[in-house]
Amino acid sequence: MRIDALLLSLFRSLVYAFLLAPIVIVVLASLNAGNFLTFPPQGLSLRWFWTFLDNDVFIDAIVYSATLAAGATAVSLVVGTMAALYFVRHARQKAELVRLGVLLPLILPEILTAIALLFFFYEIGIGTEHQIALFTGHVLMTLPFVFLNVSTSLQGRDNAMELAARTLGASRYTAFRRITLPLIAPGVAAGGVFAFIISFDTFGISFILKGAGSAPLPIQLYDYLRFNFTPEAAAVSTVSIILTLVLVTLADLLFARNPDA
Amino acid sequence: MTEVSLRSLVKRYGKTEALKGISLHVRHGEFVSLLGPSGCGKSTTLKCIAGFEEVSGGQILFDERDISRKLPEDRDIGMVFQSYALFPHMTVAQNLAFGLEMRRVPKVEIAERIARAMDMVQLSAHAERYPKALSGGQQQRVALARALVIEPAILLLDEPLANLDAKLRDEMRGFIRDLQKRVGITTLYVTHDQGEAMTMSDRVVVMFDGQIAQAASPEEIYDHPTSERVARFVGNANILDLAVSPRGDGQLDLVLPGGHLLRVERPACGAGGGMRVMARPEQIALTEPAAGQIGGRVAKRYFSGRHVEYHVETDVGPVVVVAPTTHAVREGEAVGLRFDPQRLWPVPSAEAPAEGRE
Ligand SMILES: Nc1ncnc2c1ncn2[C@@H]1O[C@H](COP(=O)(O)OP(=O)(O)OP(=O)(O)O)[C@@H](O)[C@H]1O
Ligand SMILES: [Mg+2]
Repeated sequence: MRIDALLLSLFRSLVYAFLLAPIVIVVLASLNAGNFLTFPPQGLSLRWFWTFLDNDVFIDAIVYSATLAAGATAVSLVVGTMAALYFVRHARQKAELVRLGVLLPLILPEILTAIALLFFFYEIGIGTEHQIALFTGHVLMTLPFVFLNVSTSLQGRDNAMELAARTLGASRYTAFRRITLPLIAPGVAAGGVFAFIISFDTFGISFILKGAGSAPLPIQLYDYLRFNFTPEAAAVSTVSIILTLVLVTLADLLFARNPDA
Repeated sequence: MTEVSLRSLVKRYGKTEALKGISLHVRHGEFVSLLGPSGCGKSTTLKCIAGFEEVSGGQILFDERDISRKLPEDRDIGMVFQSYALFPHMTVAQNLAFGLEMRRVPKVEIAERIARAMDMVQLSAHAERYPKALSGGQQQRVALARALVIEPAILLLDEPLANLDAKLRDEMRGFIRDLQKRVGITTLYVTHDQGEAMTMSDRVVVMFDGQIAQAASPEEIYDHPTSERVARFVGNANILDLAVSPRGDGQLDLVLPGGHLLRVERPACGAGGGMRVMARPEQIALTEPAAGQIGGRVAKRYFSGRHVEYHVETDVGPVVVVAPTTHAVREGEAVGLRFDPQRLWPVPSAEAPAEGRE
């Protein structure tokens, strides 16, 4: 093997190691048999997983986060897809403005969006009650990912197919459902997966906008780690890593075989 | 069978006026081409008829019914796009079924009609294929079949052959033309290729800048253009500056530099203003210097296999002559040119700068 090829593969390995090492360490730490979050683990066991499964606080938090993520993803999918359609097909000179508007939560520091929303919702008298502010924040954070994925899959497709469907007798809505939607489905699905993961993972927005009562998983974990330092936290993280992997793999299996992906 | 009437159609995009009052009547089963340079409003006209664009003024009538406010899906049109616009996630058969499903045609009848349409475009063997597994020409035929299987009132085609290579394009010209005559459907065909428009159409509509310059049969457009611009856009034209003197009897006398006098019919439209004379390159004969009505010298000679093109310098300016290959005149040789008075055609001088040939 030539020397530069060797260097390249070394570099590649380093990058992967850098990216994957924390994940591997969290997973290994969750298998720790000892009482403290340490690495390398002191003996292997699944006891912290059982502890976690018995802990209603974390189970509640996971269910709450998943529900919140599902809701935010659903709203983002609808609004983001519509925004992408408008952006690609109709916006013309306003296109840049539309794009900037939708992507702003991604461009601004998360904490700014969170504080702005907090002020806004207190100003209109809702505050952090009923989780309206939290939900709105999650939709704003996930919207750019749906928008980017869908507008990418729309770009470069002229709308002649949709027009052809119209001349064949399909209404605007039917043409979208039967022609455009199947063609952009991979982009919509990818956007949905991204949105779900981002919502599941986001901290700043949740931290600032969360009301009384249940809290999303990252907040719960943070609270826990402030007072406890057991491998249970690692077990929780490992479970959410696995959930994420399952989700991504499912989406991949579903849409990778689509002929027009 | 349907007649289409456009009445003073106007389309504005913001401040730009893409169509400045188009009036046109297309008869039952007629094949009409819209021909013109890029940006003259051909596609816009078609989009207005299809209902993709709202008209800013005027009317569109199908058999005296004003349809200009209807949605595209309610207009009963078949359309073929330059990009074919086949649905890539459906097989050929499913593509054809789509329009019939939208019309709630019973399943059994759908199958029959698809089979007939596939047969019509000679693609019966490919019903279960996906579009991307077909060649460009085959895809274009599927697009035609998909537009025709719903038995629409009119057929619209927007540069359907522009993406095909030259040989296939020639084949498809004949194919579309024959199919159209067999089905007998009123057809509007957009192209910027004058050869295509001439060979396929019953009538050619030449458009410039959002206006119709001339609408007539291919022969009429070619032999009797109503303006210098049309003459230059359709085929090659020599436009000669000759002394023109009108006679009382509806004829014109043309005086050539050598003193020859040619008497030609005066076109009805050519009233007033300056006149120039159009001579098509293949209607001029090359002769011995002494036998010509005017003399000249061959500056350039281009051999194309089918014929030879001579660029001749004369006293009335450069003249292009197309002659059979049996002629053997070399560059630099002196020649004579003979015009057939029957084929010379006076046109009003260009009101606008001359269009580049396409
Ligand atoms: N959606 C639009 N917005 C603004 N202007 C437009 C739009 N569509 C067309 N135009 C303008 O209208 C004029 C006519 O366009 P059109 O597409 O009808 O031309 P065309 O004759 O089909 O040309 P081509 O041969 O290039 O297809 C052009 O000047 C074009 O720039
Ligand atoms: Mg066009």
